[in-house]
Amino acid sequence: MSQASPPRIASWLVDLFSPGEDAESIPGDLLEEFSDLAAKSGVPSARRWYWRQSSKTIAHLIVSGFRVAPWSIVGTVLLGYLLLVFGNSLAEEAIVGVIHLRRNHVTPYYNHTQLATYVLWLNTSILIGRLLMSLIIGCFVALAAKGREMGATITLGLVVGASVGVFFLVGVLRHWPQNAYLLPFLVDQFAHSIAIVVGGIIVRESRLAMTRRPSGV
Amino acid sequence: MRLDYANLFYIVYLMPRRDYLGEFEHIVILALVRLADRAYGVTVRREIEARTGREVSIGAIYATLDRLEAKGYVRSQLGEPTPERGGRSKRFFHVTAKGMSAVNRTHRAIQSMTQGLDLIGSYL
Repeated sequence: MSQASPPRIASWLVDLFSPGEDAESIPGDLLEEFSDLAAKSGVPSARRWYWRQSSKTIAHLIVSGFRVAPWSIVGTVLLGYLLLVFGNSLAEEAIVGVIHLRRNHVTPYYNHTQLATYVLWLNTSILIGRLLMSLIIGCFVALAAKGREMGATITLGLVVGASVGVFFLVGVLRHWPQNAYLLPFLVDQFAHSIAIVVGGIIVRESRLAMTRRPSGV
Repeated sequence: MRLDYANLFYIVYLMPRRDYLGEFEHIVILALVRLADRAYGVTVRREIEARTGREVSIGAIYATLDRLEAKGYVRSQLGEPTPERGGRSKRFFHVTAKGMSAVNRTHRAIQSMTQGLDLIGSYL
């Protein structure tokens, strides 16, 4: 038998997107066919086949996830979106609250440099806090959408991305070119979409680690 | 007696569901019948590719099989994990009696629709 291994990224993606009931069979089938093909036609050809098959397979799995459990995905995405709306403002308020508490609710006098440092520090803290909140919400959505973690978190990420895109377009049309903060805002908001999907990956990987049996059984 | 909407819904509710198989569902279920107890993702994919010349993805096969299983036309069971599959199990599929009757119903419908038609001649 050939000792060749399939492309790591492709096989990781297949593991991520395979639903709970097919978490073993789909990656196993692809690996079995890859090994056969590598022995017959060579490793480069088998790797190309694996990429082609895994990308088609992932597309089918995403679509079938919506067909099999549409309301469960829509429900978790909606819940996640609402949590995101409330959670982000909560994170912002919590960070500002902690800062005020540390200063015993007294706002000190700042010169220009100190103020700039304070604003930078505050903005960075809020950004990190909100990104962490998005990550936690991504994890929560993935936990709720058991077996369809990636479909649910990617959908939520796309919904957030789409709403940000609309907001950005409106902003550009109304304030262009005066508002220099629109582009950083866009980057910041898209980072939230990525954080949500990362949350989904964390939960999916944890579940896979719990169910995975040692290889070579 | 006059029929109103409530009667209509009741009649539709009482009508037996006659589900026909879709084209790819039909192909997949016939592959399961051909393969008997050797039917799992790899063999089903190869059987379809060999007989139809159509390259299909494992994802398409599983999406269809999961749908058929939800309808009660097939059932599945996990086999033993094997080393050539990285210690992962095969998922074997079998056609149920309900699945066989769906295949027969679809065949009869196709036969009935094609009866008396000269499909080849009409394109010459």
